[in-house]
Parts: sequence; structure tokens; C-alpha cells
Amino acid sequence: MPMVIALAGNPNCGKTTLFNALTGARHHVGNWPGVTVERRSGTFEHEGSTLEVVDLPGTYSLAARSEDERVAAQFLAAPEADLVLNVLDASNLERNLYLSTQLLELGKPVVFVLNMVDDAENRGVQIDVPALEMLLGGPVIPTVGNREQGITDLKAMLAAMARGEQLRCRRITVDYGHDIEGELTKLEAEICRDERLEASMPPRWLALQLLENNADAKRRVTESHASEAISHQLSRSFAFLEPHLGADGATLVAERRYGFAHGLVKEVATAPDDRLTPTSRLDAVLTNRVAGIPIFLGVLALVYSLSFILGKIPQDWIAEGFKALAGFAAARLPAGELTSLLVDGVIPGVSAVIVFMPVIMILMGCIAFLEDTGYMARAAFIMDRLMHLMGLHGKSFIPLIMGSGCNVPAIQAARTIENRQDRLITMLVTPLVSCSARLQVYIVIAGTFFTPVKAALAIIAMHFLGLGLAVVMGRVLRSSLFSGPSTPFVMELPPYRLPVMKATLIHMWEKGSIFLTRAGTTIFAGATLVWFLSRYPGIANRQWTAEYQQQRQAVQVLNLPPSESEERLRSLQLMHESRIVNTSLAARLGQKVEPLLRPILDPDHKRPEAWKDVIALTAGFVAKEIVVSTMAVIHQASEEPKTGELLSPLQVALRDGSGLTPLTALAFMVFTLIYTPCLGTIAMIRREAGSWKWAIFTVGYGLALGWGLAWLTVVAGRWMGFA
Amino acid sequence: MTQNLPISLSLLQPGDQAEVVLVQAHGQVRQRLLEMGFIRGVRLRVEKLAPLGDPMELVIKGYHLSLRREESACILVNRVA
Repeated sequence: MPMVIALAGNPNCGKTTLFNALTGARHHVGNWPGVTVERRSGTFEHEGSTLEVVDLPGTYSLAARSEDERVAAQFLAAPEADLVLNVLDASNLERNLYLSTQLLELGKPVVFVLNMVDDAENRGVQIDVPALEMLLGGPVIPTVGNREQGITDLKAMLAAMARGEQLRCRRITVDYGHDIEGELTKLEAEICRDERLEASMPPRWLALQLLENNADAKRRVTESHASEAISHQLSRSFAFLEPHLGADGATLVAERRYGFAHGLVKEVATAPDDRLTPTSRLDAVLTNRVAGIPIFLGVLALVYSLSFILGKIPQDWIAEGFKALAGFAAARLPAGELTSLLVDGVIPGVSAVIVFMPVIMILMGCIAFLEDTGYMARAAFIMDRLMHLMGLHGKSFIPLIMGSGCNVPAIQAARTIENRQDRLITMLVTPLVSCSARLQVYIVIAGTFFTPVKAALAIIAMHFLGLGLAVVMGRVLRSSLFSGPSTPFVMELPPYRLPVMKATLIHMWEKGSIFLTRAGTTIFAGATLVWFLSRYPGIANRQWTAEYQQQRQAVQVLNLPPSESEERLRSLQLMHESRIVNTSLAARLGQKVEPLLRPILDPDHKRPEAWKDVIALTAGFVAKEIVVSTMAVIHQASEEPKTGELLSPLQVALRDGSGLTPLTALAFMVFTLIYTPCLGTIAMIRREAGSWKWAIFTVGYGLALGWGLAWLTVVAGRWMGFA
Repeated sequence: MTQNLPISLSLLQPGDQAEVVLVQAHGQVRQRLLEMGFIRGVRLRVEKLAPLGDPMELVIKGYHLSLRREESACILVNRVA
């Protein structure tokens, strides 16, 4: 078993960069059991010994109040962790040392990394490393993580510790002063009555947490047989300390810890210069009262164009490539079930997964870049007022806006929101933001039933409706399901830093591969299911297949000019597919479900074919891009307009044959906007929220809300005299 | 040094300096503020307000932090000239 090193430190202390520098590409990303916090672990070798590094979430303390802190505190106290590697930001030493005071209480050997010493030196801070080692009681290695300076020294030190050499290690504890120490000793004595409790964590650490009123520690005590004696002692300690020292336990402990950190910094470091730091000078512009918002919008526009305009180019190549592949396979293979599985099921399924990759990787790269530079915190600072009014967090703004390009990476982008409640609400409302795939449906429908000006207005209205609903749902969710005490908005604005290109690339690759492995399988499975529903039983009908092949051969022997022959073959194919789809399980389902949708799609009972809409909407469950192509198959009309004509044959068929009116067409658009996120989004919500529960919830509330609003559209429209 | 009565941090203007007197919040908010350095006697300086007027950016213990008015309202400080 390799020695396990727990990498602990504050957010923004360069912990992840250091982790990458230590483990290189040899690492693995997963989730901590039961929570949605990312778990990164990796190994490195030094002179023959293999060491494992586990990167803990960045935290300011181990008070175990947030998911991140609980994960970190539990792992650090577990027997699995052999050694603690505490990363300290040298330019912000005092606050970073607060966490160290807690790590020292855990009783495990601690190695300290004094990271970003170059930043500290630029600010005029000189740190006396040997003195720091003396006072912290453990080895201190100065590093510059992003330039990989000091990494070899660090590896050598860790390897030596793994061999059991306790280099420069002394047990150091914070002195909490005579009164508190007295109470701690009494509490420890009570804790030691229960041997199992005593063995589970250092008694002093538990006693301190009890004095801090820590809920997790209290829960641990209630499970002990000594719980009564401990609680009794605890109330006696509070009764003594609070009047005596004029503050509650939490304040007293925090004061002493900061006292230790403050004294230590005074001892080992020189005070920083008074001159303006580059960060202050940048912030004078970037968070300026007047310029701050326009600059932020500019940054947002840039990220958006990079992801969805530049990213669309490779996306189109991929989509075209798979389409060509499907066409190639269809032309070469005999018509039938297996061919259909390949051409209509597997190839589009794989395509539906791969097609997201460029956008996901570019957007995640941009977001990692914004985070690593420190601008993400400023973006949240600038937008927080507005987002807070909507029951959301400043950091929710970027995912919501990116949702209008594609919901899938937008849900992934919500990962930047630290607080779980804020993150969940953001993920649950993001699907309401109308994405570019839904736009394709609007264009076909609105273009058919409205004049160009009204069509444009209707499409814009859909986007505003989506955003507006996201706001309303955000507030509703905040005041219903997530009405618990909200976590404070106490956000550090870290110094601006140049990100390391390698880290950004690693991050992009990780996000992409997580999508492929976790969400990709769900999307693929769902696409295959929908293929099955929309092809069976017709695809297995030998007679139909034989008829289709005869008809094809009949065209082929006519020796027509290639273009005409191709067109005839295509219309034959469309006819054949239409026959299959319109008698499929999905069609039967559509006929069953249609009465439910009648109030919105067929309020006058004049549309015998309204069930066909249901097939298209079922296909839209996989991806909204498929809605239009499915309609083309159902209505046996091509979606490509003939040269010189404004409307495509599909639009003509919809206008003349589907029975939709402008009003029901609008209701159809409203329903398409809301009814369900696509499979990619659902898979991503499942992965990011950590359970199917929230993914299913999103589909459920979408269906209900979509039906309700589409119905309102019909009712209000008729009341105003539209048909 | 400071004789006036403590006031809420949210009343300070950009450029003002103050010393922390007391954190009046409870539970999670209180713990978080203590950890971030809002301890009796600590000096802080209000840097600016966000373009929309909230949150506030301040410097405490040598680093920059932003707080919503909800949180800054429960921190009592003494203004320092």
C-alpha cells in the first residue's frame, strides 16, 4: 500500500496546480461517495517509492458546515490519510494559517508547502523559512507551483517521510490560554471515558469542536455511551468561559487561532509594501462602478462567441461526418432492422454524444481560465445584486447565459458555484433557458404560421419567456424546496494570476472525458430506446421492406438522370420511413397520450392527426435537433426548401395538412420550450446533482409547467380573439 | 482611539477604516465570518461597492473579501480615523 498524502489548503492557494505538478497525468477524477464534490487522486514515484496524493476540496476551515468542509474533515480524520500536505499561499499567510492550526490538532504529521513565494516577494514579503519550520513543527518547502519550482525538493521530502523519517517534526499545538486549556483538559477526560470515541479522533480535536458548537461533533458525542458526562461538562465549560472571557466558545477558539497565526506571521515575515498591487490597479478598472458591467458583458460575449460560434464549426463537421457515415451505410447495406439500428439508432446516438464535445471543452476551458485568473469572483461580485434578487448567486449568471447556447455545458458550468443549494437551483432552472437547438424548431414552426416580422417577434418572445421562467422558478424553488437557512455570501476576491496553460488543458480534457463516460452512456442508451419506440414493429415487417426494395429497383432500372433518380429514391425512402414511424410504438403512444395534450394542440377537436406532434415531441426528448427531422419523416415532406421557394415542403405540409393554427402553433412552441430538457441535459443534471432524483424532477416540473403555459397561451389567445 | 459607539459595517463608505467589535450573526454565518478573520480588534478597510451597490469589497487581514449587505449588517465595527 502506498502512503496516502492528503492535500489540504484554502481555495485559491494553488493547490490544484501543485497537485498537477506532483502527479502529472497520473491522476483520476471521481466523486466522493454520496456527495457531488469532485475527488481527484493520483500517484507519483520518487526513488523507488510510490506515493498517493488525494486532492481535498479547498476550504478555509474544517468546521464541517459545507459539503466541501465535511469531505475534507472526514478524510483528514480517517485512518486512510497517513500524512497531511498543507499548501499555504505565501502572499496571504495569516488567513491560510488558520486552517493549519486545525490541521495540527489532528495529530498526523504535516508537511507545509509555502506556495507562490514569488508573489509574496513581489509584494515585499520576505519569509524566514527555518523560523517558520520551528514554529509550525514540520518541514516547510517553498515552491512556485505554476513554474514547478521546488517540486523536486517536495517529492524528496515526502518520500523521506514515507520511509518513516520524521524530519524536522515536533508536535505543535495552539495554546488557547489558561482558562480554555483548563476546560479542554476536563472535556478530554470525559471523552476518554469512551475508548471507541477516543480512538476515532484525537480527544483534544473533538473537545475543540465541541467548544465551537460544531453540529457534527455533537452528533458524534450523542452516539457515545459517555454522551451524558460529556454534555454535562460542556455546559459547565460554557457557563464558566462565556461570562469569564466575554464571548462564546466559537469566538474564543477562533480568536486564539488567529492570535497564533498573527503572532507567527509577525515573527517570520516582513510586512508587505504599501504600494498598489497589480490586482488593485486591475480592479480599479475591472470592477469599476461605471466600466465594470460593460467589461463583464464584453467578456461574456467573447466567451459565448468562442464556445458557440467558433465551437459550432467543429460541431458541424462532426454532425455532417456522422450524417455522411449514416448515408454511406444506408446506401451500402440492405434495408432492414440491423441497418436501421445502425443508421437510425447507433450512428445518430454516438453523434448526439460526440457533437457536444467541442462546445463543452471550449466553454469549460474558458470558465477554467476565468476562474484561474481570479476574474470569476469579480464576475460574481458584479452580478450578485441582480442574481440575488432572483434567489440565485452571482456565479449563477454565467451558466444561465451560456444556457442559451447549449444547456449541457451550462449545467457543467454551474460547478463553479460553491454552495450546493445555489448550485442545484441554478442547474434546475437552466433548462428553461431556450437553447440554439430549440431555435431550429421555432424557426420552422414560426416561419410556417406567421409573417416574417411576427415570426421574429415570436422567436424573441420564446427566449424572454425562457429567461423569465428561469427567474420565477429560481424564486419558487428558493422559497419552497430550498428554504433552509441560506449560506452566507462571503467570497474571497483572490489576487489576479496568470493561469497555467497546462492546467487549463488538463481541466478541459477532464470535463470532456467525464461527459463522454458519464453522460455519454445515458444519452446513447436513451437514443437507442427512442429509435426502438419509433421503428418497431414496422421495421421488422418483411413485406414492407420487400416492397420498398422493389420500388427502389424499379426506379434504378429506369436509367433516369442522376439528380432525378436520387430525388425519387429519397422520396421513396421518406415514404417507407413514414409508414414505419406512423405505425410505430411511438405513434401508438402518441395516440394514447394525445387526449392529454388535446387542450393545447387541438382545442377544437378538429385535428385527427394531432398525435403526430406527440411523436415529434417524443423524439425531442433525445435532442431538440431531431424534432424537425422527425416531423419531416412523419409528414413525408423534406425539410430542405426547393430552390426559389420560401417555404420547405415540410412547412407547406404543416400549413396545409397538419391542422395547426397560428395559435396552436404558438402553443406548440411554448410547449417545446419548456416540456423537457434533452437527454444530454438530463444526463448532466443527474451527474452534477449526484442522483436521478433531480433529473427526474426537472423532467416532471418541465412537463407540468410546459403544459400549463401552453394551455394558458391557447386560453388567453382565444380570449383575445385569435384562432 | 475610538470613542464613538459601534456601528454596523454596512454603513461604512468606500475608503473608511474600522475595527471589528462584534459579529452578531448566528450559526453558519457567524462561524464563517469568524474563520474569515472577523475577530475582535481586527482592522479592515472598505474598498468599494459593486457597480449595482451591493455587495461590498473590503480588505481584512491583507486579503480582499466581498460581503452582501445582509452579512455586513451583522458585523459591528468602530470607525477608525
